[in-house]
Amino acid sequence: MATNTDPQNADADNLHHVTAADDIEDGERVVVDIKGREIAVFYSNDEYHALSNYCTHQGGPACEGLLSGTIDVDEDDELVWACDDEIVSCPWHGWEFDITSGEHLASDEYRLPSYDVHVIDGDLYVEF
Amino acid sequence: MSSQSTEPATVRSLDDLEVIVDTDFHLTERQEDIFPYLEDPFYSLLNSQSDGDDYGYLGRVYPSHGMLYSVTVGKADSPTVRTSEDIQKGKDLIGWDKAIATPTQNLYLGAVHHDDLAAALAKAYNRWLLDNIIDTDNGVYGAALVAPQKPLKAAEEVDDLADEPGIAAVMIPSGSVDPTLGNEIYYPLYEACERAGLPIKMHNAAGTMMTRFPTQWRSLNRALPVHATSHNMMHQVNLADMLTQGVPVRFPDLDFVVQESGLGWYPYFMRRFDHDYMGAKFDAPMLEKKPSEYLRDQFYLTSQPVEGADDPEYLNQIIRLFEGENSLMFSSDYPHFDFDYTDALMKIMRSEFNGDEIKNIYGETADQLYQF
Repeated sequence: MATNTDPQNADADNLHHVTAADDIEDGERVVVDIKGREIAVFYSNDEYHALSNYCTHQGGPACEGLLSGTIDVDEDDELVWACDDEIVSCPWHGWEFDITSGEHLASDEYRLPSYDVHVIDGDLYVEF
Repeated sequence: MSSQSTEPATVRSLDDLEVIVDTDFHLTERQEDIFPYLEDPFYSLLNSQSDGDDYGYLGRVYPSHGMLYSVTVGKADSPTVRTSEDIQKGKDLIGWDKAIATPTQNLYLGAVHHDDLAAALAKAYNRWLLDNIIDTDNGVYGAALVAPQKPLKAAEEVDDLADEPGIAAVMIPSGSVDPTLGNEIYYPLYEACERAGLPIKMHNAAGTMMTRFPTQWRSLNRALPVHATSHNMMHQVNLADMLTQGVPVRFPDLDFVVQESGLGWYPYFMRRFDHDYMGAKFDAPMLEKKPSEYLRDQFYLTSQPVEGADDPEYLNQIIRLFEGENSLMFSSDYPHFDFDYTDALMKIMRSEFNGDEIKNIYGETADQLYQF
């Protein structure tokens, strides 16, 4: 989910503090435990994204693996590097997920749950 | 529950199992582990320089396939397993009570060009295994590695290790065998294994396709299609040769374990080979019953990688079709990138198999076969 900077959209009861926005460098992430859910908050390409850290494949720590890009093909079917710093790979089996949507790159049956991220007065909150 | 009870046990989760045996738990041995155990002349030859050249000796001794895997590019981790502490981490994750340690680099032993060195490397690996890895008090057993390039030396190695309590099996790195495993050059090795009461694990590696199917390997030019086809393809080739040459008839007390190749091809192969055999008995005159019956009686299959884990109807039927309740054994393949987590199979099987059958697959069958 794209970063939401308008707290009016959210019910305060559903906002959960993560950390100060400055604590996450571009291309980095934090993993926090909120009400029993392990949630990873990424800062990448000037946006924050939050995903469940529980891999829908076999339960690995999906958001703790490599944050990178992937290989795609362009309109001429030439190989290109794509989605730089927007693809996280579960370290257990290498399954690739798009951090902007939680979607698995090869199948829409294995999406990681994603959460809205709010920036309020320099702090990050996830909503659920 | 009374021991006299004939009611099948109830198994709802891993907690209900008395024993979990991981029949394919990998080590990630490196040259610095193995080289100190080499015997001369290779110890003097290979340890005479501190590090070999910049590539390291093993990079030159074991052919490299050069394929890009998720681990190669950092998209999956593959933890190191070279010490008892490393093993404990894997044991805690998978939750096994007993495991049979198998190698990683040495899955390519059969592709080593220098056949006498290959035999020496097998021997050195086994000594490293005995000194550093096997720990029966902690459930850690090992498979004695043999070099298929030198079957007579392989037989000697089996004789030497037959009485080591932590050695539960013999492993042939079968992906590069030349000739294939029905050939009479292997009979002394089979005799030694039968004499020692040790089953033979047959384990390929995807990259060994470059040695036995070089044109196909070259043509595919990605890791994905090689990995998806090579393990079961080479197993079918070896099994077809072994059955045709009557290996299970010649060695009736010898058991074989077919490793890491998925499930669905196996019941297919049983029926396909039986089908062809009905019109070609003259090619396999040694056989006294249908080929598939030898597979049911003397061959076992390890579970990983379980394909179709999201499709219960498929998976349960497939396991029934080769009577997996008697011959399938759980394996994790930890720490490789395509390892199976422990309950991946059980979650599916509970809808079809009773508790006793699940217990067989998760440990009882292995306990009987390997006689730990």
